[in-house]
Amino acid sequence: MAARVTISPNRMELMKVKNRLALAEKGYDLLKEKMDALVMELLNTLKAIQKSKAEATAQLKRGYEALSICMAALGTFETVQAAAETKKELNIDISVRNIMGIEVPTVQVGGIERNALARGYSLHMTSSLLDTAAREMELATKVLIELAELEITAFALAQELEKTKRRVNALEYILIPRLRESVKFIMMRLDEMERENFTRLKRIKAILEKRG
Amino acid sequence: MNVERIIKFELGRLNAHLPEKRITLKSALSLDKPSVRTKDGKAHYLKREELELLSKLLPEAEWDSLLLPIFISLEPKLGRGAAKIKGTFEAKVIGKILGKETSGDELIVYRPEIAIIRRKLATTTQYLFGW
Repeated sequence: MAARVTISPNRMELMKVKNRLALAEKGYDLLKEKMDALVMELLNTLKAIQKSKAEATAQLKRGYEALSICMAALGTFETVQAAAETKKELNIDISVRNIMGIEVPTVQVGGIERNALARGYSLHMTSSLLDTAAREMELATKVLIELAELEITAFALAQELEKTKRRVNALEYILIPRLRESVKFIMMRLDEMERENFTRLKRIKAILEKRG
Repeated sequence: MNVERIIKFELGRLNAHLPEKRITLKSALSLDKPSVRTKDGKAHYLKREELELLSKLLPEAEWDSLLLPIFISLEPKLGRGAAKIKGTFEAKVIGKILGKETSGDELIVYRPEIAIIRRKLATTTQYLFGW
C-alpha cells in the first residue's frame, strides 16, 4: 500500500499515526451522527411534503370548482375582469432557520385571507360566488407557499446529506482502514526490529563467551 | 493533503450553527421577530407558533428560565440514536411534549422521540454534537 511505504517505522511515528486514527474515528462517529440526524430531518420533511401536497391538491380542486361555478354564473369575461382588478399583493415574511448549518427558509404568510372589500374588485358588479372562489384560491396560495418552503428544505437537506455521506464513506472505507494498516505495519516492523536486536545481542554474547 | 486539518475543520464546522448566546422564552415572546445569532454569524429565526406552544407548557414564572433554542445533544458515547436534553426547564418542557416523566436536569431521548420533538419544535430546538 502506498501509504505504508512512506511511513518510517519508529515509536514516534506510531504515536502520531495512532493519534491521527483516534481523531479520524471521532470524526467518523460524529459525522455518522450528523448523517443520521439529516436522514431523520429529510424523512420528516418528506412526510410533511406528502401531507402538504395532498392538502394543496384538495384545496386547488375546491378553488377551481368554485372558480368554474363563478365563471358559469357571472360570465368568463366578468370574472377575468374582476381578477384583473384584484390587488396582487401578499404579506409574506421570509426568514431563515438553521438545521445543522443548512440555511432553509421559513415563510410566514400573514393576512392571506382577505375580506371582499380588501380584494379590490367592484362589489356591485360581482356576486358572492366570486368571493367564494377568491377565498378558496387564497387558501390554495397559502398551502402552495408552505409546500414550496418544504420542498426547498428537502432539497437543501438532500444536498447536505450527500456531502456528509461522501465524507463518512471516505473516513470509513479509505482513511480509517489505511491508518489501521499503518499502525499494524509499524507495530509489526518494531516487533521485527526488537527480535532482530535480541538475536544480535544473543549472538554477540555467544561470541564474547567463546572468546573469553 | 493534511488529513488532520480537514477532520479538525469538519469537526469545528459541526457546531457552527449553534447560537452565540441563547435567549429566554420570555424575551423571545417579547420580540417582534425573535431570532438568535449563530456562531458563524447568521441569523436563526424562532417561529412564533412554537414559542406559543412552549409558553403553554410552562407556567409564566418559568418563562425566564427556559433558554432557546433547546439543545438536542448527540453524543457518540450515548450510543447511536440517543440524545441528551440538558437543563431543568428544557428537560421539563421536552418531557411534557413526549409525555415522559422527568427528574433532574437531564433527559435522554431516542430517535423516534427526536423526530417528534423536531416536528413540533423545528426552530426552537437545535442539534448539538458533543464529544
